[in-house]
Amino acid sequence: MDDMTLTRPAMIAITIMRVVVGWHFLYEGIAKLTSASWSAAGFMRASRGPFAALFHGIANQPQLLDTANLVTSYGLTIIGVLLIVGLLTRLAAFGGLSLVLLFYICNPPFVGYFYSIPSEGSYLIVNKNLVEACALTVILLTRSGLFAGVDRIVRGLVFRRVAPARIGAA
Amino acid sequence: MTKNDMGNDGGVGLGHPSDLRGVLCFSHEAMATVYEVYTAQTDRQYAAQAAQACFDLVDRLERDLSRFLPNSDVTRINHLDAGGSTCVASSTLECLVIARHMFDLTDGAFDVSLGTGLPSLRLDTDGSIVHATANGVRLDLGGIGKGYAVDAMAEMLEDWDLPASLVHGGFSSVLALDPPPGREGWPLTLSDPRDGSRILERLTVRQIALAASGVRKRDHIMDPRTGCPVRDRRAAWVALGRPPGIAAAAVADALTTACMLLGWNQIERLCQNSPGAEAWVLQDEGLRHLGAIEQEIHHGW
Amino acid sequence: MGGDDRPKKLDRRDVLKGLSTLPALGLFGYAWEKQRRYQRARVAEAAAAAPAPADLQVINVALLGAGAQGQVLTDSMLRISGLRFRAVCDIWTEYNQKRVVNSLKRFKHEPNAYEDYREMLDKEKELDAVIIATPDFWHSQHAVDCLEAGKHVYCEKEMSNTLEGARKMVLAQRETGKLLQIGHQRRSNPRYRHCYDKLLNEAHLLGRIVTVYGQWNRGVTPDLGAPDRYAIPPSRLAQYGFRDMHQFRNWRWYKGKGGGPIVDLGSHQIDIYSWFLGANPSHVMASGGNLYYDPKTHEWYDTVMAVYDYDTPLGPAKAYYSTQTTNGSQGYFENFMGDQGTLLISESEINYAGQLYRDPNAPAWDEWVQKGYVTAPQEQETKPKSDSGAIADVRESVAPDQHTVPVTLRDPYHQPHLQNFFDTIRGKATLNCPAAEAYQTAVAVLRVNEAIEARAPLAFKPEDFKC
Repeated sequence: MDDMTLTRPAMIAITIMRVVVGWHFLYEGIAKLTSASWSAAGFMRASRGPFAALFHGIANQPQLLDTANLVTSYGLTIIGVLLIVGLLTRLAAFGGLSLVLLFYICNPPFVGYFYSIPSEGSYLIVNKNLVEACALTVILLTRSGLFAGVDRIVRGLVFRRVAPARIGAA
Repeated sequence: MTKNDMGNDGGVGLGHPSDLRGVLCFSHEAMATVYEVYTAQTDRQYAAQAAQACFDLVDRLERDLSRFLPNSDVTRINHLDAGGSTCVASSTLECLVIARHMFDLTDGAFDVSLGTGLPSLRLDTDGSIVHATANGVRLDLGGIGKGYAVDAMAEMLEDWDLPASLVHGGFSSVLALDPPPGREGWPLTLSDPRDGSRILERLTVRQIALAASGVRKRDHIMDPRTGCPVRDRRAAWVALGRPPGIAAAAVADALTTACMLLGWNQIERLCQNSPGAEAWVLQDEGLRHLGAIEQEIHHGW
Repeated sequence: MGGDDRPKKLDRRDVLKGLSTLPALGLFGYAWEKQRRYQRARVAEAAAAAPAPADLQVINVALLGAGAQGQVLTDSMLRISGLRFRAVCDIWTEYNQKRVVNSLKRFKHEPNAYEDYREMLDKEKELDAVIIATPDFWHSQHAVDCLEAGKHVYCEKEMSNTLEGARKMVLAQRETGKLLQIGHQRRSNPRYRHCYDKLLNEAHLLGRIVTVYGQWNRGVTPDLGAPDRYAIPPSRLAQYGFRDMHQFRNWRWYKGKGGGPIVDLGSHQIDIYSWFLGANPSHVMASGGNLYYDPKTHEWYDTVMAVYDYDTPLGPAKAYYSTQTTNGSQGYFENFMGDQGTLLISESEINYAGQLYRDPNAPAWDEWVQKGYVTAPQEQETKPKSDSGAIADVRESVAPDQHTVPVTLRDPYHQPHLQNFFDTIRGKATLNCPAAEAYQTAVAVLRVNEAIEARAPLAFKPEDFKC
């Protein structure tokens, strides 16, 4: 996909979306890092979806739980920063997509399931995790970092010797 | 046969019915368990009135301590944001002070907030106010609340001149006062919570608070420090002497929960710091007795 | 630059575009810092907060009657800021009086203890209000004397065990101009107020209320006793109108002292009937009996069933009320049934805390759901279609959607009513249950025992409710 096939307003919109999603990730990540007592255990223990056994297992093993907490809190933070500044955008988008999908399958809003975590809003199969996953997919596939992000500078520095015809090749 | 069923968490029973001839028994449901008053008293009507006064007291404590009532002290505390505060009944505050003291004493093994931040609550004893300095603290005073209620009931029975009594809440918090006339003490049994008929220990007690913590099949006790269930211990009991002015049953309740989680040395130290304290811990390998008298490990018989 | 046809590695546009989103990070940092500072300030402020704001006028309070209800009221008052307890008066000096004084001392109050309320009124120079929680047959004299001594009065319900006594209280309030609030605490309960102000008087959700059902069922309990060592000497009991310790503890069951369960329990709910229906009753008929307890110690009826007629502004209505003390099935609640909806409510925050049902033929309640007056409906299960192939099974109506009242009380039950009393003293509110209004309830309630005696319907005249 060539970022030139999308119009400029479209790319601006996608960049704004990238920054907004990044902001959300960064805040979630920092809030967990600075909170004295946050743990993913509560969220995982409340899992009722098809993978409930897996998440319960992780929640009950101290070492796995620690790893999960680290990955979640640092992952969210780093991905958030990367998305905001537009560095390693595709990698960050892919990482964010994976995290969000994990959250989604942990507590999917399928008909017939109900959760002990009180949630705002009403959801049926589609909840905000899924929407954010879609947003990250769009970010992943449209290289907005190359349009308006540090990736553009990196590309300029790293790929300076490559002929123009090859830039933008999918 | 021992009374081990309804609401019994940890396998404590009261000895044979034949041992208890002449002892009156009154029951009352509250705090999701059954409270009972046993008293050796000939005037049935007077004893019934005394028991009812005790049960009214338990009901009043439940109104303040239950986290299931939308307008209890505990529910209001659980809804505080950082910076908020609420005035509570003096009995609620006393309960919290005891809970906090036991939290410190057991290095966090006994934690009525289950890891959500008990130390972040500031307890103002002057105005009986609880200040929250963090969000998300969730208290559950179920266990220690029962002990506190049992202590209050015992004081009331003494006020009514019924010293030859025993009170308990679901048999997980027991306070034996003076024994019935002609007896050395109240006959209690400790049994495996998974198999009520298997009696592990017989005790004869007077002026003792006994608390039990146990695991029935498929239940877990969570370690608030790690959030993981305890696997290797099935039950624990703590017996405490009852010096005046100390909420013995509440403290025993806290200690027994801690015994499910702490190492043997720590339990020993706790027993030494609380004079006259004895602890029993039931593991798969058998019963271990710590505290006042150190004995070899008993195997179930 | 030089004649190079290789693409420039990095031109200014690239750099600008590349760094264009970096400021967002800066903005994030700024917002984050602001929030942290705000949170820290809140915590610091809470830690330094004085117990009561400096401009809150302190009210000096005395408690007259330190029994079970007095203790309940004290528990609530200890959570209200700006009160100073000056005195506790109770004739049971050995037990209740001492316990309440001690519990107040734990909260750093220093009340003086009295046995004789007249001595208290004489000696306490700085007293603004008296809370009366003595037995019903003492209410009138206590309230009148306190009002005439220049104190505002909060008096527990029932106003009095006699209509004459209640009338004296209203007249004394009128003459002295002091405040007299009667303890029908549901009148200040936020859920009840929400129902009255918004659901009935603004939204008219129930349409026309035609029937009401209410009950208070309680299981068998032994008589109240007292610890032997704190028994009151017979001379003191006699001085204050009690035959013996049993009558002192169980005055509610004795004629001339209380009115039995219909007055103890029913008066709360019958007060709500008149309040919500917007009318006083026109007739009452009642049946009652002493079905279970020993009549020597339980002179009043342990079971009462009463039917009231009302001429409400919207049309006639009938209200049924029953109370019993031998079985606690379904506890206590009031059920207001209108042609467009039903309101099932009780004081309890957990049982019957306020459920509303819209009649399927009534106009939709969407507007009120939007405004937050009622919660969105929880659908009840629809009944399955009948097998016979008939289009509709008319024997059972389709179950209506259930809405709840979106108000929760987080404080002890009596606190809002006491707060209302103290706010009125400070000039910031008006009484929710002033004496003249409570008098109407007293008329309606006290007539029930008469109706049981008379074994015939009794009529009320409108003048009966005026004083």
